[in-house]
Amino acid sequence: MLSVLILIPLVGALVLSLWPGKLDAPLAKIIGSVTLTITLAWVGFLATQFELTTPGFQFEELLPWVEPLGLTYRLGLDGLSLPLLAINSLLGIVAIYITDPKIHRTRLYYVLLLVINSAVAGAFLAANLLLFFIFYELELIPLYLLIAIWGGARRGYAATKFLIYTALSGVLILGAFLGLVWLSGNSSFDYDSTLAAALPLAQQMVLLVALLVGFGIKIPLFPFHTWLPDAHVEASTPVSVLLAGVLLKLGTYGLVRFGLGLLPDAWMALAPWMATWAVISVLYGSLAAISQQDMKKMVAYSSIGHMGYVLLAAAASTPVSIVATVFQMISHGLISGLLFLLVGVVYKTTGTRDLAVLRGLLNPERGLPFVGSMMILGVMASAGIPGMVGFISEFLVFRGSFLIFPTQTLLCMVGTGLTAVYFLLLVNRAFFGRLAIAPPATSPQPDIVLPEVTWRDRTPALALATLIVAFGLQPNWLARWSEHTTLVLHQPYQGFVQTGGRRATPDAALADTLLLDPDSIPVVPAVEASQP
Amino acid sequence: MTNTLPKATTLHPLDPFIQRLLSAEALLPDSDTNVLEVVGILKSYGVVLDAYSRNLIYIADHQFLVLFPFFKYFNGKVTLPQLLRHWWHDRINFEYAEYCMKTMLWHGGGKLDEYLDSLEFLERCQAAVAAKTKRNPLLQGLGRLFPEFFAEQVRQLVYYSALGQFWRVMSDLFIDLSDAYDHHEVTTIPQVVAFIKAGLVAAASKPIAYAVEIDGKTYDLVPLAAEITFLMDVAVPYVESVFFRGTPFLGTVSYNAQANQISPDQGRFDYGALYADPLPIGGAGIPPTLLMQDMRHFLPDYLTQFYQAQERGLDDVRVKICQSFQKSMFCVTSASLQGLLPHPADTQDPQEADANYAFLSSWMDRLATSRLSVVQL
Amino acid sequence: MPQFFVETSWLLPLYGLFGAVLALPWSTGWIRRTGPRPAAYANIAMTLVTCLHGLLAFRSIWNDGPQELMVRWFDFADLHLDLAFDISVLNLGVLELITVMSLLAQIFALGYMEKDWALARFYSLMGFFEAAMSGLVLSGSLFVSYSLLEMLTLSTYLLVGFWYAQPLVVTAARDAFLTKRVGDVLLLMGVVTLCALAGSLNFNDLYEWVKVEDLPPLLATLLGLALISGPIGKCAQFPLHLWLDEAMEGPNPASILRNSVVVTCGAYVLIRLQPIVVLSPIALGTLVVLGTITAIGASLVALAQVDLKRTFSYSTSAYLGLVFIAVGCEWPGAALMVLLTHAVAKALIFMSVGGIILTTNSQDLTEMGGLWRKMPATTLAYGVGGLGMVGILPLGCFWGLRMGADFLSSDNPVLTAVFFLVNGLTALNLIRVFRLVFLGQTQPKTRRAPEVPWQMAVPMVTLSIITLLVPVIMANLSLLPPWEFINGPVTAMLILSGLVGAVIGAMMPLSKSLARSQRRSLRIAQDLLAYDFYTERLYDKTVVAAISGLAQFSSWFDNYVVDGLVNGIGLASIFGGEGLKYSASGQSQLYLLTIMAGVGLLGIFMTWTLW
Repeated sequence: MLSVLILIPLVGALVLSLWPGKLDAPLAKIIGSVTLTITLAWVGFLATQFELTTPGFQFEELLPWVEPLGLTYRLGLDGLSLPLLAINSLLGIVAIYITDPKIHRTRLYYVLLLVINSAVAGAFLAANLLLFFIFYELELIPLYLLIAIWGGARRGYAATKFLIYTALSGVLILGAFLGLVWLSGNSSFDYDSTLAAALPLAQQMVLLVALLVGFGIKIPLFPFHTWLPDAHVEASTPVSVLLAGVLLKLGTYGLVRFGLGLLPDAWMALAPWMATWAVISVLYGSLAAISQQDMKKMVAYSSIGHMGYVLLAAAASTPVSIVATVFQMISHGLISGLLFLLVGVVYKTTGTRDLAVLRGLLNPERGLPFVGSMMILGVMASAGIPGMVGFISEFLVFRGSFLIFPTQTLLCMVGTGLTAVYFLLLVNRAFFGRLAIAPPATSPQPDIVLPEVTWRDRTPALALATLIVAFGLQPNWLARWSEHTTLVLHQPYQGFVQTGGRRATPDAALADTLLLDPDSIPVVPAVEASQP
Repeated sequence: MTNTLPKATTLHPLDPFIQRLLSAEALLPDSDTNVLEVVGILKSYGVVLDAYSRNLIYIADHQFLVLFPFFKYFNGKVTLPQLLRHWWHDRINFEYAEYCMKTMLWHGGGKLDEYLDSLEFLERCQAAVAAKTKRNPLLQGLGRLFPEFFAEQVRQLVYYSALGQFWRVMSDLFIDLSDAYDHHEVTTIPQVVAFIKAGLVAAASKPIAYAVEIDGKTYDLVPLAAEITFLMDVAVPYVESVFFRGTPFLGTVSYNAQANQISPDQGRFDYGALYADPLPIGGAGIPPTLLMQDMRHFLPDYLTQFYQAQERGLDDVRVKICQSFQKSMFCVTSASLQGLLPHPADTQDPQEADANYAFLSSWMDRLATSRLSVVQL
Repeated sequence: MPQFFVETSWLLPLYGLFGAVLALPWSTGWIRRTGPRPAAYANIAMTLVTCLHGLLAFRSIWNDGPQELMVRWFDFADLHLDLAFDISVLNLGVLELITVMSLLAQIFALGYMEKDWALARFYSLMGFFEAAMSGLVLSGSLFVSYSLLEMLTLSTYLLVGFWYAQPLVVTAARDAFLTKRVGDVLLLMGVVTLCALAGSLNFNDLYEWVKVEDLPPLLATLLGLALISGPIGKCAQFPLHLWLDEAMEGPNPASILRNSVVVTCGAYVLIRLQPIVVLSPIALGTLVVLGTITAIGASLVALAQVDLKRTFSYSTSAYLGLVFIAVGCEWPGAALMVLLTHAVAKALIFMSVGGIILTTNSQDLTEMGGLWRKMPATTLAYGVGGLGMVGILPLGCFWGLRMGADFLSSDNPVLTAVFFLVNGLTALNLIRVFRLVFLGQTQPKTRRAPEVPWQMAVPMVTLSIITLLVPVIMANLSLLPPWEFINGPVTAMLILSGLVGAVIGAMMPLSKSLARSQRRSLRIAQDLLAYDFYTERLYDKTVVAAISGLAQFSSWFDNYVVDGLVNGIGLASIFGGEGLKYSASGQSQLYLLTIMAGVGLLGIFMTWTLW
C-alpha cells in the first residue's frame, strides 16, 4: 500500500529515462504530471482507508533488508505524515506544471523531480531510523543537481553551499540515530517511541542536540540558515516551490518525529531553550526579510521566520501545539509555495525581482493584476489574516504554546506583526503605484508593456489559493487526520503541561480589587442598565 | 519659408515643432502606422461623439431642470429591453460626456462663460425657471432659499447644449475624415491635419445658441444675439479645458490639501488629454477609461488587427486606444493651432511672422511638459 | 415566521459577502465588454436585503428577547472555538445602523464614483467591508470579533488602497494596515491569553470566568492593556491615530463609512470587552487617559487643518476619545449613545464633504467659498450634520454628550469638562469650516458649482431627515431619559459650551489664505497642530527607525557575520578536496555527486564493519 507512493514516481522516472528516442518536453511533462497525479490520488485513496482513531502507524509494511545493521524496510502512515504526503504530491504536480516548457535537458530534469518526490515520500513514510536517513540523503542529490544545472548565475555556489550544509545535517542526524540505537542497546533501528526510555538524561540531551542541529540546518533555523536564501535565489521557480513547500518540512517533520517522539525527557529539559531559539529564528528571519531588495530573498527569509513557529510549537508539545506543527507545516507549504510561484511569474514577465525598480504591477491592462491579487492574498495569509490557513495555524501555535512558554509565545507573535511589515513593503512597492520595471529614465520612453499572464500560469496559483482559503475556513479538514497521532505524541509530556503551565499563582490579597462590579457585566442591556 | 525664421536668439526650445506647424505639418510625425492609428481612432471617436452629442443636446433640451433625471441617457425612448441593457451597463458611457461638460464649465473661458455671468442671461434664466417651477411651490421655495441654485443648473445645461453642438460638428468631421481615408484621399498626417483644419475653419463662425421649450413656449437662454461662435467660444475653451487643463484624476493625484499636489491656480493644471499618462487607463480613478471603453466597440477592423498584432493583443486595448487617441489629439491640436494662427502661416511680413511665432511659442511653452516627446517615438 | 428571521440571522453578514462575490466577474475583468454597474446594483440589493432581514429579526427579538446562535467551528483537544452570534436588540439595532449607512454610502457612490471604471472592485470591497462589520456587531465570541476586526483591517487596507496607482495612497494604505496591525497583534496576544486561561472565547463564558477568576495584578493589567489595544488602533486613538488622517486618501464613500460606522465597530468591540477589561484598573485608567488626550488633542488638531476631509477625520478621533473615556469610567451605555449618534451625524457631514469635493475638484479649505447659494442639498447636509454633531439643539449627539457628561459629573468633573471642551471645539471647527466653504466670496474653484447629481443628493437629504429624526427614533426605543432625570446644570453647561464655541467660530477672523501667523509663538502652535503634533515624525524617529535599523542590522549580520563566518572558514575545507571550492564549473558537479554518494555509503559502511 505505502510502497506504491515511493514506487510510482520511480516508475515514472524509469519510463522517462528509458523512453526510446528523443523525448519531447511536453510529453515528459505529461508523464511527470500523470505520475504525480496518480500518487496524489493514491494518497487520497489512503486517506479514505485511514482510521482516524488509530493512534499508531497504519498500513505498515515490513521487509527485512540488512538484518545485521538493523535496517529494515519498514513503512508506516500516521496523522503526522499523511497531510505532508498529500502536500508533497500536490506541490510536486505544481512544480512540474509550472516548469518552463522549453527547459533544456528535459529528461534529466523530470527524472530528478520524480526522484525527489519519491525520496521525500519515503522519508515521510519511513518507520525505521536508518531508512529515514537513506531517503533523507537520497533527496539531496537530485535537489543539488536541480539547483546546480537549472539555477541562476551563481548556481554553483548556491548548490554547493546547500549540499555541504545538508550533508553536515545528514552526518549529525546519522550520528544521533546511531548513538540512540547503540546506547539503548537495541539491535533494530525500527521506530519505537520507547527507544530512548532507558537512556540517562545526559545521553539523551547530547543526542537531541545533534538532532536539533541536524534538522535545524534543514528547517532552517538561525544561525544555520544562510544556505536557504542563496539556494532560493539561484533555484528556478519550480525548485523553489518544492524546496520551500516540501523539503524544509523534512526538517520539522524529523524534529517532531524523532526528537519530540523519541527523546521526551531531553526534549522537556531543552524545550525552554528551543522555544527561545524559535523566537530568535522568527524575529531574525522577519527582520532580515524587511531589508531585502530581492522579492525571492524576502520570501526566503520569511520562510525562516515562519518555520520558527514550528519549533516553538514543537517545544511546547501540548496536544494543540503538536497539531499546530502539522498545521504550520501545511500552511507554510501552501503559502510559501504560492508566493514563490507568484514571484516566479513576476520574474518571468518582468525580468527582475528587484523591489527598488518594480512598481505598479497591479495595473489592470498592462501589468499583472491577477498575480497582484493573488500576491495580496498570499501575503495576507502569511501575515495571519483570518479566513486563511495561516491564521488558524499561527493561532494554534500560539494558543498551544502560550501556557508553557508565555514570553516566547508573545515574542513570536511580534513576528506576525513583522510579517505584515515586510510583505506590505513588497506589495506596496512592487504592485502599487505607476507601472514600471526599470528606474525612471531621463529621456522619453515608450510606455512599457508586459506580456500577458495566461490562464496556464494562473491555474496553479488559483488552486493553491483555494486550498489556503478552504483550510482557513474549515480547519477541521486538516485537523481530523492528526488528532489521535497528536495525542499519542503528547502522552509522555502530560506532566510537562502541569508543571509548566500556570506558573502564576493567584494573588489572593489583590484578587478582590481585581474583581469587577457584577452589575456592569451584562453588556447587552447596557443602555437600559446604565440609565440613572 | 526661410525668411520667416526669427532671429536665432529667440529660438524656442521646441522650435522644430513650431517650424512643423508653420509649414503645415503636424506635431505628430508622419508615418503609415500613425495615419492608420489616428484615422482609425478618430473614426471610432466620431461614432462615440455622435452618441455623446445627441445625448447632451437631448438632456439640455428635454431634461431642463428635472431634479431626478432617471432616464436622461435614454434620449426619450424608454423601452424594457433598453432599460435592461442599461442596467446591464451595456451602453455608451455618457458619464464621460458629462465629465467633459463639467470640466469645461468649471474652467470657463471664452465669451460663453462671460455671457453666463451677465445680467441678460440671469433675466432670461429667471423667466425660464419661473415658467418651469410655477406649479411647484416646493421648488420655488428652494429657489428662494438658495438663490443661485437654479441659475447654476441652467448654466450647466447651457454647457450641455454647447458641448453637444460642438461635438456634433466634430463627429461629422471625423467620420468624413475616415471616409476620405477609406477612399485613399487622405494618406499622410499633414493631410489629416489639413482636413481637420479645413473643417474647423469652415465651422468657425457657426453660431452656438440654446433655447428650451417649456409648456409650449420657447425661452431663449443663449440667443443668437449673444454672438457665441463655434471656434472661439466653444472649441477654444474646450481645447483649453479638456486637452490642456483637465481635472486631477483621483487615481493618480492626491487631493490632500497639505500635500499641495494640485495647483491652486487652474491655469497651471496639466491633467488634460495631451498630458495624460495612458498607462493607468483601465485602472481605478481614471475617468478617460470610460471614453476608451466606449471607443473599443467601434474600432475599424484595420485598427483592431493592428492592435491584435502587438504585444498582449486586445488584452490591453484600452491603453492602446488611449495611446492612439493621444496621437490623434495632437493632430487636432495641430489643426486648431494652425487655424488659430493670427496671420497666415506663409506670411511674408516679418512682423506677422513674429506674431505667429510668438503665438505658437506660447503654446509650446505649455506643451513642453506634455506627452509630445513620447508620441514622437 | 418571525422566529425564522432570527434563526437565520447568521445570514446577515453573509449577504454582504455574497454581494462581494457577485461583483467578482466585473472586478476580476472576466466581463470586459460591458460596464461594471451591475456589480454595484447587486451589492446595493444585497445591502437592502440585509437591512430588511435585520429589521424583521429586530422586530421579532424586540418582542421575544435575545437569542444566541452558536456553531462549533473548531474542536481539538482542549481547544474549542465557536462561531457565536448574539442576536439582541442592541446588536441588531447597531446592525441596522451599519446597513443603512452602508446602503446610503453605496447609493452615494453611484454618483461619486460614476466615472470610475473600477466600480465593481469598489463595491466588492464595500460588500466585504459591510459583511465584516455586520458580523462584528452580532458576534458573540471574542474569537469571531478578533477575526472580523482583522477582516476590517484588511478591507480598510484594500479600500484605502483602492486608487493604488496614486503615490500617497501607496503609503497611506500601508500605514493604515500596519498601524491597525500593531493594535491587532497586541489584541491577539490578549485573545490567546484569554483563550488559554479561560478555555472559551465566547463573551458570555468570559464574563462568567472574569467573575470567578483571580488573576495576579500584573497579568491582569497586561491582559487588559492587550485587549484595549485593538480598539485603540481601530478607533484611531492616540498613539495609533495617524492612519485615519492618511486613510482620507481613499474614496469618499468609503470615508463616510470609515468615519462613522467602522470606528464604531472598533469601539463596539471595546464595549463588549469592557467587562473583561475591568480586571485591570490600570487598563481602564489607560482608556480614560488616552481618550482624554485624543479627545482634546484631535479637536485642536482639527482646528488647524486646511484639508476638508482631514479636519473631520480628526474630529472623529476626538469623539471616539469621548467614547473611550466613557468606557474607561465604566459607563458603556453613555459610550454607546455617543458612538451611535456620532455615527449618523458624521456620515452626513462626510456626504456633504463628498459633494463639495466632486463639485470643486478640491479639498483645500483655502480655495473654497460661497457655495451655499448654489448647493442646497450639500449645504443642508452640512448644516444638519453639524447640528447633529454638537450639543446645542436636542439632536443626536446632544443626547449622547449629555448622557456622558451627566454620568461623569458626579465622580469625574474633570472628564465632564473634557466633554464640554470637545463640544465647544467641535462647534467652533464646524462654524469655521462652514464659513470657509459655504459663506464668503466665491473663488476660482468654486465659481461654477452646480449641485451634485441625484444619486448623491438623495442620500444626503435622506440622511439629513434621519438625523433630524434621531431624537424621535430614540424616544420610540425609549432611549431618551424622562424629563425628571435630566441634569439641568450639566445640560445647560453643555449647550453653553457649544454656543460659546459657535460664537467664537463665527466671530474669529478667518483669512482665506490661512497664512501662517507672523507671531512666532502662534506660528509654532499653528504648525504643531497642522502637522498633528508631528506624530508622523515621531513615528519615523522611533518605531520606524528602530525596526528599519534592526532590519538592516540583521541583514548586515547575516551577510557579513553568519555567512561570512561560514564562507571564511570555508566549510568546504572540512571535507578537504580541491574540487569542493565554490565554483560554477560543471566539473564540481561530478565531484560532489561522488562525494555525496560517499557520505551516504559511509554511514552504511561504518555500521556494516562494526557489525
